[in-house]
Amino acid sequence: MRFHFYQFLKLLLLAAFAFFLIQLHHTGEIVKLINPKYVLMSQVAAGVIVLLFFVQLGRVWQGNADEHASCAPGCTEDHDHKQSYVKRCVSYLVLLFPLCTGFGLDLTSLDATIAKNKGSLLPQGENAYQEEPSSKPPTLDENKPIPNNNYLTDEEYEQKMGRLNDDVVEMNEDIFASYYHEIEANPHKYKGKTIQMKGFVYKEEGLDSNQLVVARFLITHCVADARVIGWLSESDQAAQFSENTWVEVRGVIDVGKYNGVELPIIEIKEINPIPEPANPYIFPILTKVL
Amino acid sequence: MTFRLYNTVLDVTAVLAFVIVAYFVTYSQWLGKSASIILPGSFNQLNTIFLSLIIEAIPFVLIGVLIAGCIQMFITEEHVKRWIPQNKYRAILMGCLVGSVFPACECGIVPIVRRLVAKGVPLHASIGFLLTGPLINPIVILSTYMAFGNDMKMAGLRMGVGFVAALLIALLISTLFKSNQLKHSVSGLYGSETLPQSEVSFMKKLKGMCVHSIDEFFDMGKYLIIGAFVAAFVQTYVQAQSLFLFGEGLMGATVVMMGLAFFLSLCSEADAFIGASFSSLFPSGAVLAFLIYGPMIDLKNTIMLLSVFKSRFVFTLFLSITVIVFVCTITISMVGR
Repeated sequence: MRFHFYQFLKLLLLAAFAFFLIQLHHTGEIVKLINPKYVLMSQVAAGVIVLLFFVQLGRVWQGNADEHASCAPGCTEDHDHKQSYVKRCVSYLVLLFPLCTGFGLDLTSLDATIAKNKGSLLPQGENAYQEEPSSKPPTLDENKPIPNNNYLTDEEYEQKMGRLNDDVVEMNEDIFASYYHEIEANPHKYKGKTIQMKGFVYKEEGLDSNQLVVARFLITHCVADARVIGWLSESDQAAQFSENTWVEVRGVIDVGKYNGVELPIIEIKEINPIPEPANPYIFPILTKVL
Repeated sequence: MTFRLYNTVLDVTAVLAFVIVAYFVTYSQWLGKSASIILPGSFNQLNTIFLSLIIEAIPFVLIGVLIAGCIQMFITEEHVKRWIPQNKYRAILMGCLVGSVFPACECGIVPIVRRLVAKGVPLHASIGFLLTGPLINPIVILSTYMAFGNDMKMAGLRMGVGFVAALLIALLISTLFKSNQLKHSVSGLYGSETLPQSEVSFMKKLKGMCVHSIDEFFDMGKYLIIGAFVAAFVQTYVQAQSLFLFGEGLMGATVVMMGLAFFLSLCSEADAFIGASFSSLFPSGAVLAFLIYGPMIDLKNTIMLLSVFKSRFVFTLFLSITVIVFVCTITISMVGR
């Protein structure tokens, strides 16, 4: 029996990965990375890694003759017994890298720079059709600290969608996406309604000085697939607000044209800076699916 | 050595591992604090996207490596010989069909395919499986259906055209390559030395499966990490608009969307929503190309494939997928008009 150094390194990496996942779940930071819908899956994954840790533990100490014992039938050589020293070092460093940045750097939420890279939100030229709605939200008591677990029952969903017909539309996080799509699709139906929403200021090229977009990121699966949603808004104060500032706005839905395309526009009545919310992202509602 | 001593040694090792990890965590936090002063803010954004790609992929990769370990321990070459049709065309069809019902994502499927090929599944059948696995499965169909406003047309086209394209690609590959194209020649290591499976106890096989999964996890993990980093880099620093230089027409738009699909490296379960968000900018044929091309090949899984197969093969595969998907979607757009 002897000590296998490389197996020990793998053991360390497994422990570190498990620790990283568990820490993300424990602190709740995981929702900064993936849609809460997938949290359970990720927890199971953490459990599997812990299990593999214990299997790996047995491999750190074993006899030489034992080396292939665990894979008796048809062992392949791809256990990297034969890899060169340099190659091994490089691969362990690569594996270490996300752990370093993961433990070391703070997770941030996406900002307007990323939004810009994702392509334009507002219609450009003629072949495009509109992409600008506004929406109505449920009341503030719905604004729970964890609008994350975005499962609604059919009833709740119908009830919330019903509130779209109220005179004041509040865009709360849990229903944001549905309201957004509804108003985007039928801007005329909602014209004249008052709307209230939070978002960050996003300015695309070609906007007038009195225009800005109040935007949010919509996340389907993980942060990498985030896309921007938001409405063109007009306000005399628009120039005072720099990009990425989080604001709460109150305005009236109007229908206007941008680059020749009809879209909902918010005439802002009131705009105030706010601190970045704890849950900056919007997750699509899941009821309709399941 | 007594059993008890052995257990004590294991306990000590585990504790030692925890101490080292705890030390590492503290150290990298300190390092991160000093580094964050120098690093630009955009690096934090990059890091967030990078980690989210990894965290999102880990469960799928784990499923992939566990299935691969399972194949390694529980399926023999004799099984494979019995199940896979000798006829080339039927084998391809079978590969594509099995892939269609198999819920995998493109990062999880690479280790599975590697195991299958090593076990003697013909390359063309495995490629059919590799292509349809992430592209056609219930979750992807559902998300596509929803993303395009509960319209079955796009989901239907994605499946139909994707399936035909996969068949064609597998067919092309089968005429170009005869051997298994794995990087390490494993053929000699299989077969002759294989013990009759019944002689190994089930528990031992289970343990062997876990051991294989661990090795595979690290093997695939490092390529996943490299791929995720490059994809995150592209998302942070490259503007989608810069791709517009390929022009506005259907051809140009299709090339742009396929390029996006490749570089964004999205999971096939989520890309429908991104694709839908582009339908205001691009003709639907181009969006269809995005939806079909992305699951078949992207930056992340090309790097993973390169670790498994010979680079000449991966390059040919990449080229055939690109050309065939392009031709298929253009044809469909022309016909549909």
